[in-house]
Amino acid sequence: MDRTEPVDRPIGTTTVAGGRDAEDEVDLIPIRTYWQLARQRFIQHRLAVIALFTLLVLVSIAIVVPTFTGLEYRLTDLTERNAGPTLTAPLGHDELGVNLFVRLAKATQTSLIIGGAAVMIIVGIGTFVGSIAGYAGGWVDNLLMRLVDIVLSLPVLFIILMIVSFFGGGDVRVIIIAIGITGWTLAARLIRAEFLALRGADFVQAAKALGAGHRRIITRHILPSAMAPLVVAAALGVADSVVTEAALSFLGFGISATEASLGTMLNKFSIYFYSAPERILYPSLVLVLIVLSASFLGDGIRDALDPRQRIASK
Amino acid sequence: MTTPQAGQLLELRDLRTHFYTQDGTVRAVDGVTFEIRDGQTLGVVGESGCGKSITAMSVLRLIERPGRVVGGQVLLRGKDLMEYSDTEMRDVRGNQISMIFQEPMTSLNPVYTCGDQIAEAVELHEAVNRRQAWARAVEMLAQVGIPEPARRAKQFPHQMSGGMRQRVMIAMALSTNPELLIADEPTTALDVTIQAQILELMKALRERNKMAIMLITHDLGVIAEMADEVVVMYGGKVMERADAMTIFERPHNPYTKGLLASIPRLGEKRERLEVIQGVVPNPLNLPTGCLFKRRCPYAMPVCDTAPPVRQVAPGHVSRCWLTPAGEPPRIGEDAPPELAEESAQELTVMAR
Repeated sequence: MDRTEPVDRPIGTTTVAGGRDAEDEVDLIPIRTYWQLARQRFIQHRLAVIALFTLLVLVSIAIVVPTFTGLEYRLTDLTERNAGPTLTAPLGHDELGVNLFVRLAKATQTSLIIGGAAVMIIVGIGTFVGSIAGYAGGWVDNLLMRLVDIVLSLPVLFIILMIVSFFGGGDVRVIIIAIGITGWTLAARLIRAEFLALRGADFVQAAKALGAGHRRIITRHILPSAMAPLVVAAALGVADSVVTEAALSFLGFGISATEASLGTMLNKFSIYFYSAPERILYPSLVLVLIVLSASFLGDGIRDALDPRQRIASK
Repeated sequence: MTTPQAGQLLELRDLRTHFYTQDGTVRAVDGVTFEIRDGQTLGVVGESGCGKSITAMSVLRLIERPGRVVGGQVLLRGKDLMEYSDTEMRDVRGNQISMIFQEPMTSLNPVYTCGDQIAEAVELHEAVNRRQAWARAVEMLAQVGIPEPARRAKQFPHQMSGGMRQRVMIAMALSTNPELLIADEPTTALDVTIQAQILELMKALRERNKMAIMLITHDLGVIAEMADEVVVMYGGKVMERADAMTIFERPHNPYTKGLLASIPRLGEKRERLEVIQGVVPNPLNLPTGCLFKRRCPYAMPVCDTAPPVRQVAPGHVSRCWLTPAGEPPRIGEDAPPELAEESAQELTVMAR
């Protein structure tokens, strides 16, 4: 629309300077939606794009290889003992003739499922506790944050080991819950800090003055602005959960040794450290890739979701 | 409870809001009494920290710790808001009483479009669906004079200028047709030409919607432009109250006179601009007697006793020992010592 064309002027605007805020003439930026802007900002974050690509590759391998290729990750074939790479087994076979590529894919799947599920618990509890503590303040805040301190003071691995051995080791669900209920403290603290800062913000006051209730203010007005720390907490949560699971399985307290996980693979192949180091290298590499990608992706999403971030001009 | 008089919208009776800080109690609002009638614009003037904004926040019950409304009544159409439940109060906010704030740059939520935020205000108080609320938002943007409202509604606050954002705030506040609009320094953060536009807009909307405005400002120029009646506040107390004409032409209270003298005027040759000597007293350590005595050119020994609220003329009251004619009181006659702090009830009676 031509900006100089006289617009149908309503009341109260015809007094000064032809009724138009002169400063607004500057604003000729074409209007893009929130998600368009977010996508644009994300694409400019090169590391995040690489991380997203890496994760997508890992996820698709983890889904496709164990499920659709007909290759079996538990199948032992003694004729293939320690056999070298082939087309269907690009990473070779182990001492029982198990296809290492398929096994690694299955292990990645297990780790990602555990990481993803645990992070939902982490973010869920963290957001709930953090937002209430930060919004309410006072003794509620004190109480909840001391609870966080208590959880933080516990030796996490020991608690997880206790839960796992008590409720039956080897069960993926038990491991997920154990990691989830011990790992939410960082998320809670980050969310609380954001709520503390935004609780007194002018726009929150304005929302109150318009008659918005507490729940609406928390969920609709503060939480979206707290997206940044939330995404960071989630990214760190994924990385942490995957590593914790690997550690548990490495120690033999994670999922059962016959199932594939990055930790069980590391455990099993640690004896080949000198003779066949690549067997340790592969799961370690996947672990590193998952952790790094998760945090870079988190960074990128955080920056993309912040509407105040400017689009870098080319 | 008294029955409200016809046309009486809001009445504050002896409102007291105190802040309990570590250093002591701050009486931010200390016995404020005034009323607003339907369609009337009441100006509330005073220096920074005199309790103007706190009075407004108290009306909406938005005072947060460590502050608390410790006494008095806020009667909206004769019903005391202080006795409302939280749910009832939420329905008053934004529906019967709306508020616009000083800082248009930060009073809009940065993560929602302007249209979304106005639509939300509508949805909070009316049974409308999303589409109807959005249509109303666009209509309100048009009403507050934003060109291309349909396009602008989809923009984020950071894509708009200060003047535009204040218009959006006004659109939000008026979207539910409130009976009273509380405007807390609505033009302070804007530059002068935009100020004039916003004031013009508020006037036009006042006529159209037949709403009352409580206009909080330290800018007497804005008061002269907008207000029917004026309340001058100092140290949490009402110092003088009269219609706008009287305040400007025949002020009684020395504080009001001081404020008026410190406005620069075009075409007037003066060596120096007059200022009120001294600073606002420390709210934690207020003087006894008259709060203004240390800065007052008329200060007398009797000012160590809290001054009475006197009727200077019909509808014109002033908190000062000076007689209605502006002369020092003759002890024993005009100023019996027991006349000290008069009840706020009396203040109301005198104003009528």
